Amino acid sequence: MKRSKTMELGVGLFMLAGILGLLFLGLRVSGLAFSPPGDTFRLEANFANIGSLKPRARVTMSGVTVGRVSSIELDTDWYDARVILEIDRALEDRLSRDTTAAILTAGLLGEQYVGLTVGGDPETLGDGDTIRDTQSAVVLEELIQQFVSNMISD
Amino acid sequence: MSDSPFVVVEGLSFSRGDKDIFSGIDLRVPRGKITAIMGPSGTGKTTLLKLIGGQLVPDAGRIWIDGHEVHALSRKALFVLRRRMGMLFQSGALFSDLSVYENVAFPLRVHTNLPGAMIRDVVLMKLQAVGLRGARDLMPAELSGGMARRVALARAIALDPELILYDEPFVGQDPISMGVLVQLIKRLNEALGLTAVVVSHDIKETLSIADYVYVIADGQVMAHGTPTTLDVDDDPRVSQFVHGEPDGPVPFHYPASDFFTDILDSGGRQ
Amino acid sequence: MIQRIWRLGRRGCELLEALGRSGQFLLQSAVGVPSREGWYLWLRQMHFVGVLSLAIVLVSGLFIGMVMALQGYTILVDFGAEQALGQMVALSLLRELAPVVAALLFAGRAGSALTAEIGLMKATEQLTSMEMIGVDPLRRVVAPRLWAGFVALPLLTIGFSVVGIYGGYLVGVEWLGVFEGSYWGNMQASVDFVGDVGNGMVKSLVFALVVTWIAVFQGYDLIPTSEGISRATTRTVVYSSLAVLGLDFVLTALMFGEFS
Repeated sequence: MKRSKTMELGVGLFMLAGILGLLFLGLRVSGLAFSPPGDTFRLEANFANIGSLKPRARVTMSGVTVGRVSSIELDTDWYDARVILEIDRALEDRLSRDTTAAILTAGLLGEQYVGLTVGGDPETLGDGDTIRDTQSAVVLEELIQQFVSNMISD
Repeated sequence: MSDSPFVVVEGLSFSRGDKDIFSGIDLRVPRGKITAIMGPSGTGKTTLLKLIGGQLVPDAGRIWIDGHEVHALSRKALFVLRRRMGMLFQSGALFSDLSVYENVAFPLRVHTNLPGAMIRDVVLMKLQAVGLRGARDLMPAELSGGMARRVALARAIALDPELILYDEPFVGQDPISMGVLVQLIKRLNEALGLTAVVVSHDIKETLSIADYVYVIADGQVMAHGTPTTLDVDDDPRVSQFVHGEPDGPVPFHYPASDFFTDILDSGGRQ
Repeated sequence: MIQRIWRLGRRGCELLEALGRSGQFLLQSAVGVPSREGWYLWLRQMHFVGVLSLAIVLVSGLFIGMVMALQGYTILVDFGAEQALGQMVALSLLRELAPVVAALLFAGRAGSALTAEIGLMKATEQLTSMEMIGVDPLRRVVAPRLWAGFVALPLLTIGFSVVGIYGGYLVGVEWLGVFEGSYWGNMQASVDFVGDVGNGMVKSLVFALVVTWIAVFQGYDLIPTSEGISRATTRTVVYSSLAVLGLDFVLTALMFGEFS
């Protein structure tokens, strides 16, 4: 029976290692934080152009991740993009009403994300409110076009 | 009821591919006796045992074991019936990852809820019967052929079956272990009243213990009778087999065209 | 001509028959109430197919992670994007390399051994004698192996990923001098637990089922001679490798393709 004991131990360790490995993949590799759902509140923001922003992109404030993009849809009233953001519950009723949202790019070719900057309005944003002041994604072609037309007008 | 045959085979036909192995065989295996089924190699004697055990399904014909028609049973009922049968395989077929002790204990463990101590008693008893109680901790790979077959015999009788099927029990054994096996089979039959079917082509040994003999050739029962009647049978095919003559009605040569023309033919082609 | 068509038809029928047989085989062996005895048999097989395959899988994972970091670095550094190394290593491991390479190694290491073992049991009449004792070999011999393979391969795949990512870290950060924070940070920003780790696991489960199924079926269905065993062992490795690579394409298309 001694041989089977070591075998059982081996299999136990093997399975434990597998579970620990999965934990490692979750925490260290995909950066999961154990935040139960409902720990966030919703904000909406309309952008004229979202570039290549994707659902699940980060929402940051001064570089700190404070939430995620939950969905993106076309607003048929204004024909622009409505982006729904899920922001950390701790920031509910803390962000001023004139907070700006900008679509930024990480590095030259990196992923796009939403950056928030607070303003000075004493009124604050609650669940389901809309951010009025937005700044669209920078599209490289538009930038070049501007640059060229500036050169010509000079 | 007790003197009705234990196993009845009626009109059994079986073929594998295009080759007919049996065409209409009738057998009766009397209760508590040793019945031998003999015949030249390649006549499908092992196949016959597999048919009786319900592992193969015949093309035609029926087989009854103690009144149960084997091939009409559900899978479950067949497995229940098999608990009343033991089979000794040509190769022994011991489970190579279990020790001798565990091999013999295997049928007890899966079919009974006996406590460990009782299983131990039964296993040691069975191993004692085949004279291998001292070898209980060996692994099958460490046994000689004869010992492996004796362990397999102990395993086959572990559940005290009513019918035991021996598949070529004497083949490839040295004279001593052959003698041991002959004695064991005889003794088990006498002491426990087992019904036994022995498939073999070792004439001398088989005839010495069998109560009744069937000789099978070309898919048919060629002769049957007690050993003494067979010995004086005047059918040339039977006497050739029983007395082991190299040539006779069963030809020495595999069917071929004439030797002389064959040689000339191949020479001419090259 | 007619002859050829006839032969093609017969081939097709044989193929369908084999598929049907193996499907029936899978169903018969996979169902069944696990008993305490069954649990123990499963444990033994976990040891056999899982623990004993661990070394080869982990070592391969380490080397593959290291090679990827090295190759990736030389490409990424041209674009000044070497911070994205962690992301590249992790995503390619989690989505593709870990499930596929672990499954291929598993087929070679454990699959072929399963086929040979069951085939040998068949050739030495152990399966037949088990049946004669009144024990269903599908339950007793095949089912524990099937379930052990099904559980072991995903665990091995996790191990492969973890070790591979660590190997990438060793080469990228410790040797080539990528900033440690960006190695892990970029990885965490781009790897999605459900989308990447989860889908990799789903792939691995599918591969585990297919490879073990092929291995045990080839063992159970082979011609019980030594030649039959060696052929079936080869077939196990060939068929399961092809099945893994083919299924990988289908699964990738479903998971990460445009129409997902």
